[in-house]
Parts: sequence; structure tokens; C-alpha cells
Amino acid sequence: MGVMRLGYVHARVTDLTESLNHYHDTLGMQIAATAPGLAYMKAWDEYDHHSLVLEEGGVGLVKLGYKVEQPEDLDVFEKRAQQFGAITERMSKGENLAIGDGIRIVLPSEHVLELYHEAEQTGTATGTLNPEAWPRDLIGVGVPRIDHCLVTTEDPVLLERFFAEVLDFRPSERVVTDLSDQADLLGSWMFCTNTPHDMAFIKGPNGKLHHFAYQLADWSEILRAGDLFAMDDVSVDVGPTRHGITRGTTIYFFDPSGNRNEVFSGGYQTFQDFPTITWTADQLAKGIFYIGRELNERFTSVLT
Amino acid sequence: MPSVTVDGTDVVVATRADEPILAALCRAGYAYRFGCRRGGCGMCKVTVLSGRIEYRVTVSAQILTCDDVQAGVCLSCRAVPQTDTVIRLSPDDTLRCVAPFLAAATSNTAATRPSPTPPANSKE
Repeated sequence: MGVMRLGYVHARVTDLTESLNHYHDTLGMQIAATAPGLAYMKAWDEYDHHSLVLEEGGVGLVKLGYKVEQPEDLDVFEKRAQQFGAITERMSKGENLAIGDGIRIVLPSEHVLELYHEAEQTGTATGTLNPEAWPRDLIGVGVPRIDHCLVTTEDPVLLERFFAEVLDFRPSERVVTDLSDQADLLGSWMFCTNTPHDMAFIKGPNGKLHHFAYQLADWSEILRAGDLFAMDDVSVDVGPTRHGITRGTTIYFFDPSGNRNEVFSGGYQTFQDFPTITWTADQLAKGIFYIGRELNERFTSVLT
Repeated sequence: MPSVTVDGTDVVVATRADEPILAALCRAGYAYRFGCRRGGCGMCKVTVLSGRIEYRVTVSAQILTCDDVQAGVCLSCRAVPQTDTVIRLSPDDTLRCVAPFLAAATSNTAATRPSPTPPANSKE
């Protein structure tokens, strides 16, 4: 019973062709399918049909899809979401290409979250029989999988309660203004897997995207990605650096529409009994930019 | 090639073909507030006081609204000057010189000044 992982990010892009140059040629995702004004993409180590949907027109997030363990979980989560007071609706198999029945929820932050159980399984690029370690024909960064998303919300406390009470996520790390009882919550990093976070949010306008991230194996892959960004004239936001929050090593960059992406590696293992880490706002620079310890205006302002 | 002048300063920069305003000013050693540099966040908006600009890529109307366009506001990371252009930064923004030696080298006449030749090898 439970949410298994982030299944897909569905984002808006101003130009689909330019976006394919970025996500396919630079990042190395494969095109799983296309439709008028839409591209479905998949990273090499993912086995479901797609993990990224690009929709031409505008910028920002359309919705996020999270896959659940059992079909019955959908009914449980639907009831919990309704009890919480969120707007929900049923979604039918096929409304999203290659995705089964599910529940569509409007989060307190106005983001749309879809829960589903079934997805067409097309397999990883290496397969399940005597596989090689990685695909021989990787392009560019060759990202293996999408890892998490960070969004903004006017009310982090409410959104954190939603993810905890409705979807059984747990917070691995939280940023608070101070350690007093009157402290405000500035951000929360929450997990449903064994990683530091599968979803995260910081205080800001509702409905906006800060970034979505790909997982890489280690520092050297992060640095190699950085070199590829230079070669492909990708706009880099921050990094290479390390986060204090999650310990992950990282580079943040922008796609041709201005949506922020991240390549991320490291972190730590989480379990249901993981003791939540707290950061105080006075240490935020170290929390975000562990090495430089200086806040960057772009990083905290650019949202799509 | 068209020039970009920053109103309220004495900074005039010659642009290259297809070069947006932000790129030209950065190349000349200056900086001001910008974000994604791809047209998706709106942080680099400036007002065009005179001159004509063009966009070579699709720019989202979510970010650059009709009101913006009517008021002469452009996304400086994507706006390419077609004629000599004068821009004004946002009221709460200032032009910074981040690379003084670059700024000196590219000032005004860089396009007509011959490039420095390396010193002859004294052994020859």
C-alpha cells in the first residue's frame, strides 16, 4: 500500500523542437511517442512508457504523476484527499497516453497531481535478460531516471500535512525560520521511497515549478554533465556544487523555455523511521550551496 | 551592427549578428538582473526607449504579456536589436560593471580597432 515513486512530469515548453534538442540530444532521453504538440520521453533506466511529457505552449508545470503500489490504493487515497478537502476527480485509462485509471487531485498549492497504478511497461534500455551495465549508445548526459520535483506553495505547512496525511510521505528535511514555537516552515523535502526526497516544496507563489531533477551516479557524472552543458550552450543556474540539504551534489540548469532542471547525485538512504533533519533559515545559504555558502538571486527567484 | 545604450549610464555596446541585448552587455563586461536567460522567467525585462527589437524564438505570452509589449517592455535575454536601441533597466535594478578590463576593451570602437598582434620572437 502506498505511493511508489514519481512517475511523470508533464511540463509546458515554448518550442517543442528546441526542447527535444535539449532533452534528447543534451540530456539523452529517448522519445517514446509523439502527438500533435506533445512529446513523451523516457530515460534509459526507466521501465514505464515515459517519465516526461512536453506540451508545446507556455512554460511551467501542467501536472505530476505518481505511481501507486496497488489498484486499491487509489480508492484509499481518493477518500483521504476528499476528507482533507482537496478537489479530486477520476481519470480514465488513456486520458494520458499509456497510463491507466487513476485519481486527479488539485493540491492545496494549486498544482495538479495524478495517482495511477498501471502504466505500459516498455522496459529499460538494458533490458531484463543478462543485461549490460549501461546502454552502449547513450547520447549526451545519458540521464538514467527522473528523481524528484520541487515546487512552490504559499502554505508549506498545509502542503506538508497533505503529503503526510493523505499520501503517507515523510519529511526528510525541513527549513524553518528559527527553532522557536512560533517558527514558520519555509520548505519541506519529503520521501515515499528510500531517497532523500520524491517531492519537495518551498514557500512561494502557488502553482509554480522550481525544478525537476534527474539522478546521476556520482560527482564525476555531474561534472561531465557540466562540460556537456558548456558544449551545448545550456544556460546554467548553479553549480557544480553540493547541497547541505540532502547532501546531494548538483548542477541546476534551464531548458530552452526557461524551465529549471537539475542533475543530482548522492544523498542518503531514508526509511520510515528516518529522523527528520532541520535547517534554520540563518543557515539557508549552506543548506542550498554547501560549498559556496552564498545565496544566488536567480536560484530563489526564477520560477516557471 | 546595431548598438545598445543603457539609459542613465554612458554604456554603449555594439551587438553582434543575432545577439540579444543581455548577451551583448554581458559580453562587454556588464551585468544586471537576469534569470534563466531563455525567456521563461521574466527577470531580465527592460524597457525599450527607442529602437526596434525582434525575437528569433517563441516567447511565451504568459511571461511577456500584451501589456508589456504595449509598454515597450522586452525580454532582454531573447530580444535582438534590429536598429540602434536604448534600454532602461527596471527601477530597482542597476547596471554593474563586472569585468572592467572587458568593458575597456569592448568600449565603442572595438569593431574598428585592429586586434593586437603578438610580439615577434626575438630568436628569429
